[in-house]
Amino acid sequence: MSLVATRPGPGDPRPYTFPDIRRVSVGGGEVVATHMPGQHLATAALLLDAGGARESAGREGTATVLAKCLEEGTTTRDSAAFALALEGLGAELSTSVDWDSLRVGVSVPVGLLPRAVTLLAEAARTPRLDPADVARVRDDEVTALRMDWAQPGPRADAALRMDLFGAAERYGRPLHGDPASVAAVTVEDVTAFHESWLKRPGVLLVAGDLTRLDLAELGAAAFAGTTGEPLAPAGPLGVPIAAGRRVLLVDRPGSVQSTLRIGHRAPERANPDYVAMTLVATVLGGAFTSRLNHLIREVKGYTYGIRADFAMTRRFGRFGISTSVQTAVTTPALTDTIGEVTRTRLDGVTEEELEVARTWRAGQLTVDMQTPGSIAGALATLVVHGLPDDYYASLRRSLLDATVAQVSAAAAKHLHPEALTVVVEGDGAAIRDELAASGLGEVADAGI
Amino acid sequence: MSAQPAPVTPTGYPWPIETARLDNGLRVVVSEDHTAPVVCVNLWYDVGSRHEPPGQTGFAHLFEHLMFEGSAHVAKTEHMRLVQGSGGSLNATTNPDRTNYFETLPVEHLELGLWLEADRMGGLVPALTQETLDNQREVVKNERRQRYDNVPYGDAWLRLLPLLYPPGHPYHHATIGSMEDLNAAELDTFKAFHQQYYAPNNAVLTVAGDVTPADVFALAEKYFGALESVSDIPPAPRGHITGAATEPVRETVTGKVPAPRVYLSHRTHPFGTAGYDAVTVLATVLGSGRGSRLYQRLADGARIAQPDYIGAYGVDLAHAPAPLIVTATAKDGVTAERLEAGVAEVLDSMATEPVTEAELERAKALLTTSWWRQMSTVGGRADTLSRYATQFGDATSAAYRLPQWQSVTAGDILDAARTLNPESRVTLTYLSDEGTDQ
Repeated sequence: MSLVATRPGPGDPRPYTFPDIRRVSVGGGEVVATHMPGQHLATAALLLDAGGARESAGREGTATVLAKCLEEGTTTRDSAAFALALEGLGAELSTSVDWDSLRVGVSVPVGLLPRAVTLLAEAARTPRLDPADVARVRDDEVTALRMDWAQPGPRADAALRMDLFGAAERYGRPLHGDPASVAAVTVEDVTAFHESWLKRPGVLLVAGDLTRLDLAELGAAAFAGTTGEPLAPAGPLGVPIAAGRRVLLVDRPGSVQSTLRIGHRAPERANPDYVAMTLVATVLGGAFTSRLNHLIREVKGYTYGIRADFAMTRRFGRFGISTSVQTAVTTPALTDTIGEVTRTRLDGVTEEELEVARTWRAGQLTVDMQTPGSIAGALATLVVHGLPDDYYASLRRSLLDATVAQVSAAAAKHLHPEALTVVVEGDGAAIRDELAASGLGEVADAGI
Repeated sequence: MSAQPAPVTPTGYPWPIETARLDNGLRVVVSEDHTAPVVCVNLWYDVGSRHEPPGQTGFAHLFEHLMFEGSAHVAKTEHMRLVQGSGGSLNATTNPDRTNYFETLPVEHLELGLWLEADRMGGLVPALTQETLDNQREVVKNERRQRYDNVPYGDAWLRLLPLLYPPGHPYHHATIGSMEDLNAAELDTFKAFHQQYYAPNNAVLTVAGDVTPADVFALAEKYFGALESVSDIPPAPRGHITGAATEPVRETVTGKVPAPRVYLSHRTHPFGTAGYDAVTVLATVLGSGRGSRLYQRLADGARIAQPDYIGAYGVDLAHAPAPLIVTATAKDGVTAERLEAGVAEVLDSMATEPVTEAELERAKALLTTSWWRQMSTVGGRADTLSRYATQFGDATSAAYRLPQWQSVTAGDILDAARTLNPESRVTLTYLSDEGTDQ
């Protein structure tokens, strides 16, 4: 054999260091920046405390409609002129809404960043919000959501969320709303949301070659005309665990796959088990070699992929598993999946599995953080969760130092296989009876 | 707007590139960059679904899956465990032209990446079992269900290809293949496939990141140097097509879709040619961003198209005239006929209304940003160099693409637009067979 038979060991480690963070206070806001020498692109993002959690009941999706309206012209130029000015720099406005924040960002060749940030601020601070435009954008968003909800997944996600958090709680409704709640959003909802939450300074995140950028100038442009103090975050929601497992069916007649969304509540991001929980999820369903992907994809061939994670925000967390399996194996796939959750809770993780999980997660810090966009995202995490500037260095150490005992204890504490809500979106006529007979839990229609 | 043309960047690849060729024909490309302790190992094999004979559609892609299931010195599932256990990210993709494999690793694990790639280049066949094939066949069939069969409009690409390319043409069928062919896949076919195509002289290895060329060339020799080259690698069927199609083709699908949608498509020029550079800029003027003609005239102006689902793009295929695809989805109450007429009118305007300086500058600025975004990771750079080495025989020619886009003139776009006439157009229409409410 002409191949080298012995697997080579690693060379001398060259540990990654997260670039130094520079903070500049200007115009009532703060610029948080990192230096990336030699990068041709630079990213700037305005991070505002204006997430989905600030929306009114029944009007979920208001922040998303507003984010789209930011590109419909400003008080000084119409939408076509704004698009040409921004895209003429090679930039496109990227807007996003999550539970804790609303972000507006641009990425451009570094020399063009000052002009792009000026345009970004113009859109975020002084959008035109012409009533006819807002109504049209709202209607377009309803149509877009209907398109999205025609795909498998969104209805199952909504059913799981409602069961875990309750329809009365904002967190029990979809982050971006559903077609009905977005249809109910009024022009006044959108302008009031802008007035309340987008005129505060917020934080400007900058990643790029700082030798070519003046942070004070960028901050002055981003915070011009803003007022108000940072808002105090609300407290965590707690972790109620259900008394028993239940199965919710979302009918999708004729579907050739069953889309599975399985989960229960979990603690918020600031809880002290964060690192251990991340590693539990990595062993169970995060890595390609995870227990779930190995069994459900590689051994059984039921699916193209399956993953498990803990999603954690400022106020809540949830454990979740998602996959799509061919219709005929829906029940065996569920049984095997829940079996792996149970095994992980009872027996914990092995040193061999944990070694992969901890070095993968630590290594990913190196591999993922190459671009201005990914660095800006990392800065956003620091700001939203109030983490210290040396966070990424200490996270790396915490991941590498985590022991089998710590991670197994987190599995025992934070996995609840008997309390899972199991949502199955698929061909009800083909799978309902089998699900009912499976003993996985009481079967009910999700009503979505 | 200023009348001055936008400046042309002198090079789209300002990092060093060094190349070597091992005695067995493996081409090795190294691009050194010490800004972060990461490295990408990227391999392009010059084999894709264009090589598949009738009855074996989907085989190149199914084979790609088998490459992760173990080789002579790597146990089943160990490949993923070793890469992720080193902190790496990995993947592979197959398209009509080629198959690529890549992993980005903390740089101290460079040798592991090279060893793994060499082991599956030279030692896959002894590890290939019927059980592995059967399992991965099911995974691929689930991939087909999840990506193409179970989503609205998911089969558009599968339908466009046979309308664009005649039977027997290497691009006539889609890479994912047919369920019938996948079911019929036999183990010996895959063993032969590996022996024919997964040869050092049919591949390019690119390493980009925190390395030196001398080290990489020595390691490439150590791990790949003893692999034997293969003579008489069978070529793909010829992709030659003279000119555009001469009569329009259309297909209408009625199914479970939430709104009518149209795709207008043309065969243009192969990726890498001056003609295709013009098509790339044309597609950006026409359908990329809110300042594009399609957005301005149909999503904004006439408001007959949904703003999130309108655009135009070329599919960068290099071995035959590549497709340009223009698509839009109807707003509520707008018929497919009206939508198609609107899209066709905007597409045809490219030949009748010369692009303005502002349109041209906008398109070039967007393309410039997208180029530098691709270059912002070692993975993006390595894949680009492998592409240019594989498809054009010269990794350093990657540096020319951005300047060539920036040099495209309004006249070049007009010339390209004149070939996109309705007589050579493929039109695919989706109609909804359900009401608007669920």
